[in-house]
Amino acid sequence: MKNIFIIIIIAAFGVMLYPLFEDFSGNDELSELASFYAQKENVEKVNSANLVTAVVVTYRGLDTLGEVTILFLAAAIIAFSLRKHSVERDLRRNSEIFKTASKVLIPIIMMVGVYIFMNGHLSPGGGFQGGAVLASAVILMLLAFPNIPFNSKLFAYTESISGLVFVGLAAIGALIGSGYLDNAILPLGTFGELLSAGAIPVIYSFVGLKVGAELSNILNEFQSVQSDN
Amino acid sequence: MISPIHIITIGLGGAFALGFVSKKAKALTTSLMLVAIALMGTISGSWLFELLSGGTETMVYTAGFKPPYSINLLMGLNEALLTTMINFVGLLGGIYLFGNLKKAGSHAVMVFLVFIMGLNVIVMTRDAFNLFVFMEVVSIATAGLILLTETGKSVQAGFKYMMATGIVAGIFLLGVIFAYYFSGSLNIDDLAAANITAIKGGAVAVMMILVALVLELKPFPANGWALDVYEASDPGVAALISAASATAFYYVLFKVISIGNADWYNIIAIAGMITFVGSNLFGVKQDKARRLLGYSSVGQLGLLMAILGLKPYLGDKLEFIAITILVSHYLAKAGLFWLAGIIEQENIKDWAILRRKPIFLVLFGTFVFALIGFPPFPSFYGKWELILALSSAGQYYAIAFILIGSFLEGIYLFRWLGYAIKLDYTKLPEIKIEWNKVIPVAIFGVLIYVIGAYTGTQMSGLDSLCYGPLLMIPFLYAIDSLKVPIKNTIAILGVATFAARVLPGLYETDMLRFIFTFIFLVGGILTLIAGYAYKGKREGFYPVALLMFVGLALIIRASNTLEFFYGWEIMTAGSYFLIIRGKKSMPHGLSYMLFSIAGAYALLAGFGLSFAETPSIEISSLSAITSNITIIFSLLAIGFMTKTASLGLHIWLPGAHAEAESDVSPMVSAILLKAGVFGLMILMIAMGHSPEATNIGYVLGWLGAITALVGNLAAAFQEDAKRLLAYSSISQLGYILFALAMMSHLGWMTAMVYSINHFLYKAILFLTIGAVVMRVGTHYMYKMGGLIKNMPMAFVAVMIGIIALSGVPPLSGFAGKWLFYNAVLDVQWYFQGAIVFFSGIIAFLYLFKLIYSVFLGQLKDNLRHVKDISIWFAIPIYTLILGIMIFSAKPEWVLQPLGDMVSQWYPNSALSWDGGLATGPYGYWNGTGVMITVGIMFMALLGWLLLVSRKAVKVKQFNIVYSAEAPQRPETTHVSYNMFAGYNKALGWLVAPKITEFWDTMTDWVHSVAHYGRQLYSGNGQVYVTYVVAYILAIYFTMIF
Amino acid sequence: MEYVALTVGFIVIMAGLWAIMTRKNIIRIIIGFSIFDTGLHIVMVALAYVKGRTAPILDNTVALDDAVNLIVDPVPQALVLTAIVIGLGVTALMLIFAMKLHREKKTLDIRSFKDLKW
Repeated sequence: MKNIFIIIIIAAFGVMLYPLFEDFSGNDELSELASFYAQKENVEKVNSANLVTAVVVTYRGLDTLGEVTILFLAAAIIAFSLRKHSVERDLRRNSEIFKTASKVLIPIIMMVGVYIFMNGHLSPGGGFQGGAVLASAVILMLLAFPNIPFNSKLFAYTESISGLVFVGLAAIGALIGSGYLDNAILPLGTFGELLSAGAIPVIYSFVGLKVGAELSNILNEFQSVQSDN
Repeated sequence: MISPIHIITIGLGGAFALGFVSKKAKALTTSLMLVAIALMGTISGSWLFELLSGGTETMVYTAGFKPPYSINLLMGLNEALLTTMINFVGLLGGIYLFGNLKKAGSHAVMVFLVFIMGLNVIVMTRDAFNLFVFMEVVSIATAGLILLTETGKSVQAGFKYMMATGIVAGIFLLGVIFAYYFSGSLNIDDLAAANITAIKGGAVAVMMILVALVLELKPFPANGWALDVYEASDPGVAALISAASATAFYYVLFKVISIGNADWYNIIAIAGMITFVGSNLFGVKQDKARRLLGYSSVGQLGLLMAILGLKPYLGDKLEFIAITILVSHYLAKAGLFWLAGIIEQENIKDWAILRRKPIFLVLFGTFVFALIGFPPFPSFYGKWELILALSSAGQYYAIAFILIGSFLEGIYLFRWLGYAIKLDYTKLPEIKIEWNKVIPVAIFGVLIYVIGAYTGTQMSGLDSLCYGPLLMIPFLYAIDSLKVPIKNTIAILGVATFAARVLPGLYETDMLRFIFTFIFLVGGILTLIAGYAYKGKREGFYPVALLMFVGLALIIRASNTLEFFYGWEIMTAGSYFLIIRGKKSMPHGLSYMLFSIAGAYALLAGFGLSFAETPSIEISSLSAITSNITIIFSLLAIGFMTKTASLGLHIWLPGAHAEAESDVSPMVSAILLKAGVFGLMILMIAMGHSPEATNIGYVLGWLGAITALVGNLAAAFQEDAKRLLAYSSISQLGYILFALAMMSHLGWMTAMVYSINHFLYKAILFLTIGAVVMRVGTHYMYKMGGLIKNMPMAFVAVMIGIIALSGVPPLSGFAGKWLFYNAVLDVQWYFQGAIVFFSGIIAFLYLFKLIYSVFLGQLKDNLRHVKDISIWFAIPIYTLILGIMIFSAKPEWVLQPLGDMVSQWYPNSALSWDGGLATGPYGYWNGTGVMITVGIMFMALLGWLLLVSRKAVKVKQFNIVYSAEAPQRPETTHVSYNMFAGYNKALGWLVAPKITEFWDTMTDWVHSVAHYGRQLYSGNGQVYVTYVVAYILAIYFTMIF
Repeated sequence: MEYVALTVGFIVIMAGLWAIMTRKNIIRIIIGFSIFDTGLHIVMVALAYVKGRTAPILDNTVALDDAVNLIVDPVPQALVLTAIVIGLGVTALMLIFAMKLHREKKTLDIRSFKDLKW
């Protein structure tokens, strides 16, 4: 009975979505806003080959700052609210194959992660993606070696330093550049090269570190309260 | 100036940097966070200062590109004000939560800082998607703060919060992305300019954005999750959600609403009004303090939403109204939540604990009055401007909704205040004082007065004298720890100074105001003299008594309706506190307040409508009204009649007057009721000459006559002496209403004479009976008797009082009666006149009962040694008796100026004077002659009685009433118990408490509706999500149809 | 193509809502939110698509001079990145709440958490 009511609600929701579908006609052209980003003279102002990255880090950098903040918040909330719950957990014994393979894989995964965020302005990827890959290396480590001493302080410092660098670069943009988050405070370099796009690769690298550290911290917190039963 | 963008730098940078501070230095971490918030506040505050002193607003562009290519933020006056408010409450809230934050550690501190920073950004940003991001920042930070003090309940509330905001955020995002698709921009100003609502899909996208923002403001009924959060999270956190978040999200809707078309204003107005009324209605049934505050918060947000929706009708007043009400809500609600955290009492009945530290009670009262919109708080001016503007725009439904919602809020807030003032607190624990928690509340308590006073100076038409005398009140409060004699003297001097400033000159220029000022202020001084009879400190009495007298004085002085309403509300507040001081006055105080609020809202609506007609707030302009007279006149008359306690609106009076303290009863009876009379006179002078008003006058005449009859009958059946006098007051005010309603020369003469007389003899009677009650310790007449020997002074006073009241010669009451019959015959109101005449006869019954059962008959054993009334009561009593004597002996001294005065409005065609001889159309009368004649007859009879009584045999008192058997209730054998049983049998049906039953039934209905209605909030988070989705759909389908 | 994506997105959104409103297990409700979010992300990407164009990355295949005519809209793509990360944060936090709720009552049935009502 109740479900029928909810089916009606969902159906009505569909009815509400229909005008959006009806008036949607695909795109043949870029919007005026997107065209601006794609125009040569504007591309050269930012000098990032990956336009999504240009939008994410520079044009809409304030969103990204907020985005980083959300991960930071989630990590902080998890940290302070789980602290009370620490439990002793049974440490599983992992197979040798898993452990050995992990030893090989972890550095490689980390390198991939670093590659992804350092090339965020050139190729698909960026700080968040790279950071997530970094964190996946950390979770592999936590799974393979559950009793490894996890240096949460190191991660916390990484997080703080990265965040400060991001905010600091943003503020420098406002102080000496032409606006908050202006990437042209560093040399724009040659288009398409690693050292180009001004502050973008720097910011994205620190975002990558930050995201990696935050996700690792979250995973570690979850792991530390988990019990196997 | 520092760019406002650095609010983000400081907030976010600070949060990141806190990671470096040692985890053990918890106090340092928390202090650094407070420094960061203070810096953010400094930036926003300096912008506020800059913009207030004429600076220009600034647009902050990021990334070196102009919008829409990059995100921009605006720092205008609104943004500066709101961010300053947010940072300020953030700073104080951080201080308040210092202990909790310290305990939770640096991560919690970071969350707190980011929360405040996020609110700043959502106020400033001009980009829709950026808004989404920072709304998510805020909502995640809020969820984190809810976990700050972790209880089972707070976790549940937090999860429900996350579910609801999860849906809301999703809908918002969907709206934003489609708005981008249809308009090509994410900038709010571009979206507004693009007018995408013209296409169907665009309209849906806009709807999704706006409905999500409405949902963030917790609209009824899709707000169960919000109530849970208010109830279960730490009060310090709830204060921030209610003050800071609500402020920010309100402003978001404020700036984003421009993307919708004109229909949106209506939708938001209706959603807001439904929330305001619905939420306050359900609040009536709530007894958990913090949940009740939640209901109130949600309700206030509804009001603010309604104000925004009514923008098309408010014009340039919108911002003033919204800001005054928002600021009042912000200060009061944060203060109340903080108080809730200090006293830690869940049930509102346990808030009596506030009396352990009376300053907390003062703060609590301040916040309650500020929420309802009493002067001198900012919301008073906001509500005033709101009603005036809505009246001018003809939005009568909106006025009705807003006033009903406010009234419902008044029900629970004043019930709560009553509990705090009256209930027993001795079993409750001590309050733990933590200074970091007390200081924020105190600062907000002071601020609300300061901002209120500032707002007052911004109003045109409000004389500075309107708040000058109010300074007496904090002064008297400050010296509240002194003994009664000192404070009493200061209070009397205060009233006397004011009277000395106002009275001279008034006699020549404005007789009407002279008479009422005389009654209010000289009456005030006389009743205050009785205060010397009290021992000890009498804490809290003087500030509130003076509050009432200041209010009364302001009413007289008022030259425009704003000043009048200001004084009216001040007087109401003061008299409420006076009335509720009585031992058993809690329910009576509440019903007095509720009738007063309802009456005040009738006045407000009436003043609003009259402003719409003229448009001017001058009282004199009332006479220029040509249309809508019936409704305006009726509203104003009803408003005034709540104070004169006319039949139907009288049920608050008997309890309020009877249970009040001995010297308070005359203040609220002899003096306060005249405020209503004064109001009615002002009204009739201005508007009484129109045919519509004459018709209403006819109704009022009947009402007055019936009130007179029922009041007197009810008085006759009372066992409680003070209750008897209270009903007598109702009836006397009925006479006055009747006489006023005649709207003729003689009618008004009668009304004035009755007003003066009622002041004199009701003050005498209430003072005397009050003084007797103080001695004998009971109100019940059958527990008294034979007191004539012990209390000759009291006896003489009551004797004179009842002679004057009954209207027999020679005392001044006769002047009223004589004029009355002339007037009735003149306007030919025979039927009504007959009723009043009949009720005059009934008056003899209760007057006889009063003097007989108290002073004559057998003396009770336990009263054998009572002393006569206190000299401090005797002084005012005999001063008033002197007044009656002068009035009786030389009535022309009063009546002739009165006649001249009334002639201004109703030309004298009937009454002529020849020295002391008055000749009316139906007879003549010489007051002095009557006095002398009756005096001689009285002396002769007295002499003869004394002569013959020498031979009388004195009979000893002995008790043979019960033949060996004691009745179960001995008092039933007392002669004055159920004295008029026969009359009761014949006429008692007339005074059956039909009207009380009517109001009781109304109350029951409200409670039942609230009881069944609120079960909507089942507690299941999933159900709440369903409401949220259903709400979105409801808005959608409303929109397309 | 974009119509398919949009339709799928809408259906996924509604499926998510269905899960949120009907499932009794809190973990499933949280999964419902993830599904709901995913639907939103699909819709966003669908809106960014321009017929026959490629990703907005200016490498060897996309000439800088003619980029305007070769790439899809980068803006929704940037937004979706942000939205995904936000969704991740929200999900993580919801899981924390789920864990705490389970600790309190040893159940994950949403109907057993009705201590606050009316």
